[in-house]
Amino acid sequence: MTSADWLLAALGTVAVAAGHRVVATDRLVRAGLHLVLCLGAVAGMYLVLTAEFLAWVQVLIYVGAVVVLLLFAVMLTRAPVGAAADLDRPGWTAPLVGGAAGLGLAALLVDAYRWTAVAPAAPGTPEALGAAVFRSWVLPFEVVSVLLLAALVGAIVVSRPGGRR
Amino acid sequence: MSLAELGLRVALVVVAFLTLPLVVGQAEHKVMAHMQGRLGPMYAGGFHGWAQLLADGVKFAQKEDLIPRGADGPVFRLAPAVALLPYLVVLLVIPLGPGDLVAQPLDAGLFFALAVLGVGVVSLLMAAWASANKYSLLGGLRGAAQLLGYELPLVLSAASVAMAAGTLSLPGIVAAWRPWWLLWQLPALLVFFTAALAEIRRPPFDMPIADSELVFGYLTEYTGLRFALFLLAEYVGIVVVAALTTVLFLGGWKGPFADASLGWLWTLLKVFAVSFAVIWLRVATPRLREDQLQRLCWQALVPVALGQLVLTAAVVTAT
Amino acid sequence: MGLPGEGVLQGLAVTARTMTRRADTRQYPDVPPDLPPRSRGVIALREENCTVCMLCARECPDWCIYIESHKEEVAVPGAARPRQQNALDRFAIDFSLCMYCGICIEVCPFDALFWSPEFEYAEYDLRDLLHEQGRLGEWMATVPPPPAHDPRGEPAKEEAAARRPAPGAAGGGA
Ligand code: SF4
Ligand code: SF4
Repeated sequence: MTSADWLLAALGTVAVAAGHRVVATDRLVRAGLHLVLCLGAVAGMYLVLTAEFLAWVQVLIYVGAVVVLLLFAVMLTRAPVGAAADLDRPGWTAPLVGGAAGLGLAALLVDAYRWTAVAPAAPGTPEALGAAVFRSWVLPFEVVSVLLLAALVGAIVVSRPGGRR
Repeated sequence: MSLAELGLRVALVVVAFLTLPLVVGQAEHKVMAHMQGRLGPMYAGGFHGWAQLLADGVKFAQKEDLIPRGADGPVFRLAPAVALLPYLVVLLVIPLGPGDLVAQPLDAGLFFALAVLGVGVVSLLMAAWASANKYSLLGGLRGAAQLLGYELPLVLSAASVAMAAGTLSLPGIVAAWRPWWLLWQLPALLVFFTAALAEIRRPPFDMPIADSELVFGYLTEYTGLRFALFLLAEYVGIVVVAALTTVLFLGGWKGPFADASLGWLWTLLKVFAVSFAVIWLRVATPRLREDQLQRLCWQALVPVALGQLVLTAAVVTAT
Repeated sequence: MGLPGEGVLQGLAVTARTMTRRADTRQYPDVPPDLPPRSRGVIALREENCTVCMLCARECPDWCIYIESHKEEVAVPGAARPRQQNALDRFAIDFSLCMYCGICIEVCPFDALFWSPEFEYAEYDLRDLLHEQGRLGEWMATVPPPPAHDPRGEPAKEEAAARRPAPGAAGGGA
């Protein structure tokens, strides 16, 4: 194993452990903070895989905005510093479903590649990414933006006071 | 770049990280005092109180380290470090002079800087929530709303320059910069500076710590060294914001003459000039109310930034 | 309402102008302050003038003047009986209570109390602010001479009375 592999494994462990804490902790805000750690570790993995730009996007969008929004909402509604007693957890079904899905996907992945070596992709520089998004994948990109616009309009309609409920 | 050289560069950045904020802080003491017809610190260190901040540091170190009983200890203790770290990391990619005078040149340096600055919000929320204090929580909520809102004009105005320069690398932007950009990118400059002020929660955007209504916002429960670290973060924030403004909009190391040999001096001078403007604004303007704050962001800064983006795009495609 | 941001610019201009001027600060322990002539620093007592009439103690709004005295017999040569006279034993003002209203000084009919501009008498303990006549007397040295009369002002009542011709001297009269 090269040092990159080791780093990848270490970051993966951090991400998985943090992810576990996200669902297992009974302190709401700490779950959000563990999510920060988890997403940060994933960004680190992107970095090790030379997808530099993607890593910064991950930090800017997920850590800097999405999780913060999440934490903001949690704190605005209810945020006991101690453990929250009224968290409902579906007992054993959740680990079962989650574990099965994760293991199944992993098995699929392993089965798909077996021992074939895949040539590493070119580094994910902004240029490469921009070229990919705006040359080969323009249509999906635009479709996604239309979808986001629809979501935005929907959110405004739903949250407008006095509208139909 | 060898490992020893990298170590040296990082060490230099750490030195800058520890001294520049002190210089800015002392300048704030004195400039603010004189703008208000006072003298400011005069005794510490003998000559015009130059050692005041060192004395403050010693004082902070002596204070009792208090953690409220209801607080969430680990998060409470971690928050100051999370507040400081992003700024330190951002300083790594800021070019001081032409050529190799940057600790770690990055292809997407601008994007990196903006992304890492965004992480600072997390420390604010951590401090606010872990303090188990209603003033802290209110301050944290205000801060989060403010930072989320102002991140948009910040990124948009920075994107305008990146588009004009055709690169995301900070040295690349400075290299592409021409003096007439000052005129053409002026709206972006103003938007960026204002939004950056809000990002580091300096007056007039200090709603999250508004001491006259929220005690001290998310810093209410902090004392001693941890509080000092937060204060340090505020001043490093000024340095980082001034440096980013310099690099993006004021032409970084480009001066009237001898760019190649005196570049670092021009950069530093510009950084101090922008820091002075930050201090000056603090003295001259009252705090914005929460609704004014959001209105300024969404009704003034974002449209101006978008307009600038359109203008930049038009000019770039035309030439 | 002017242009947006006009107020900010105005504020910036004012602060910049202030910065170019000299600061007004007097560095107090190094540079003694210029006090106005009638500043109320502390109350000084001229013990010889006090007749223990108790007016000051009674008028003091918060009763912070403590006076103790005894009667003395003074044999006056040529008089049938010895006269009785009040002798002051203790005169103290509690400056932790005093609110510097100056009523005691106004009411004293015998010019025994004066304002002194002295102000450096802070103590570490509140109780140490109760000052006895010794200390109050020391402050007499710091009392400035009274300001000169306003040459164009009205003459004092006593002066006017002294000038008035005695009844009967110049006719009229009742
Ligand atoms: S100044 Fe006023 S309060 Fe003070 S001792 Fe005299 S009468 Fe009392
Ligand atoms: S009013 Fe004057 S004379 Fe009378 S007791 Fe007080 S200080 Fe003495």
